[in-house]
Amino acid sequence: MHSTINRGIVQHKLLQPRVRCVVSLTKTHYLIWYFNRRILYWAFQLNLMVWCCPVMAEAILPNSIQIHGFLTQGFFHSTDNNVYGQSDDGISPGLTEIGANVSYQPLNNLRFAAQGLFRRAGDVDTGSLRLDYGLVDWTIIEHNTGKIGLRAGRIKTPFGLYNETRDVAFTHPTILLPQGIYFDRSRSLLLSSDGGSFYAEQRTEFGDFAFKFNVGIPSNELDEIKTVVLGTHNAQGDFETRPSIAAQLSYEINNGEYIVALSYLDMAFDYSPVLGEDLRKSTSRIKPLMISAQYNGEKITLTGEYQYRWNNFGNFAPFGKFASESWYVEASYRIIPELQATVRYDSQVMDIDDRSGEGAVALGFPRYVAYSKDWVFGLRWDIAPSWMIRGEYHKVHGTAWLPQMDNLDPNQTVQDWDLYGLQLSFKF
Amino acid sequence: MLAYILSVLLVFSFSCTQLYAVEVVVNKSVTTHKNNAEDIRAIFTLKKRVWADGKTIQVYTLADDNPVHVSFVKHVLRMLPYHIRRIWDRMTFSGMGNPPIELNSEQEMIQRISSTPDSIGYLTVTPKSDDIHALNYQ
Repeated sequence: MHSTINRGIVQHKLLQPRVRCVVSLTKTHYLIWYFNRRILYWAFQLNLMVWCCPVMAEAILPNSIQIHGFLTQGFFHSTDNNVYGQSDDGISPGLTEIGANVSYQPLNNLRFAAQGLFRRAGDVDTGSLRLDYGLVDWTIIEHNTGKIGLRAGRIKTPFGLYNETRDVAFTHPTILLPQGIYFDRSRSLLLSSDGGSFYAEQRTEFGDFAFKFNVGIPSNELDEIKTVVLGTHNAQGDFETRPSIAAQLSYEINNGEYIVALSYLDMAFDYSPVLGEDLRKSTSRIKPLMISAQYNGEKITLTGEYQYRWNNFGNFAPFGKFASESWYVEASYRIIPELQATVRYDSQVMDIDDRSGEGAVALGFPRYVAYSKDWVFGLRWDIAPSWMIRGEYHKVHGTAWLPQMDNLDPNQTVQDWDLYGLQLSFKF
Repeated sequence: MLAYILSVLLVFSFSCTQLYAVEVVVNKSVTTHKNNAEDIRAIFTLKKRVWADGKTIQVYTLADDNPVHVSFVKHVLRMLPYHIRRIWDRMTFSGMGNPPIELNSEQEMIQRISSTPDSIGYLTVTPKSDDIHALNYQ
């Protein structure tokens, strides 16, 4: 195991000076070229969408068919460590997300819906298109105050307040969701799963209840959590996800002025090593339980979520069993309806019995990979109903949520770092 | 540049404070009189999707920054525009439901509701027509 880690460091050290050199020589030219290209591209794309879609929707589509979509581009700069590309002392090409969905309702109680998502993150992920969800929704019973139904296909995973629309910038207040809970690096596990879902909703005099129970197989693309799960990012074998469970019960007063939700996931995946690899065949299991609460007032929105997670990572046995804890509190203030300021404190500890990261040190990693504490200050401006721009500043202590593809050697990272983000988003 | 941004913001904030008396209107096919204010809210937040006779409700709306829409959401639904938009966006982009169809003007609202059975929307002035009428609710 150690030999593979060492090889990673040697490779990284060889690459580092060359990359630095190229960046410093051509940084200005590159940035000018990059922004020009991007602006032209955007102007073209958005013009097409702005003019074509509403016309198309009105002229051709009946009420039973709807088409919607979004485009988001984010840029990041950090004082140390890389987020979505070479953001350290530069501006990373960041995150591009383009989504489009279609829904068709042929009958009162039958609906089809599907969404494609293109995502390009940083330098490593050069872009991929995936089916985000694709489902058939059958409402079995619908009455004046509630409904019961089934969904089948690829279904978004209900978890906390934001997981089902985590890639849709408009639906949450800051560019980066609280990473202690909505991990970007284990996003494949959390996005959606292939299977079925039972749902029930009931309106009552004292509030509305909703329940979802999903069983399905999440995506296999788990390269980003190799280091956390196996102790090395150089593992050559494959992960295979098992059927997992997602359950959520939510309660809303006054159509969501107050929201309380309880979410639970039970996910397992197998690791099969390649021949000659110093890793055992193993099964890992993650079981997060989360409580969420939100108040939505005219000027103020207050949000808090707390997650307790049971982990069992087979290859770390007998130390593979541990519990993680993540939480955040967030306050947003609408200066005017279109301008919203947000402040958040987000904390996570990988192992609640080892809050200072002794276990990470024993494995040859810096202790600060075991925790992170993140202050966030953000400003969001809804320029028009279809357009939004926002910026934010993070003051981070620890690297527990740092994307590993962008930071191949954990020993080259820094414990205290600042991150700046800027994001533009359009939807229709 | 800053002055421009500020003036745009000011225009926005003023346009939102303008008051309109807004009525809930439905197609002639909607005959049910048993709706209360809570049902109207449930219809526009997509929680109630069928009329008492089991027919699917077709919801129409105006743009988020249309003053008539803002007045409707604030004074009829007693909600906030950003709040109802978030509910619609979550439904739209998670595959869980269809948002209301957005129309460009009150004139278009009159045309679409008149011609679409089981539809609902809102207007400042309900036209004298056999195809469209104001919905009474307690």
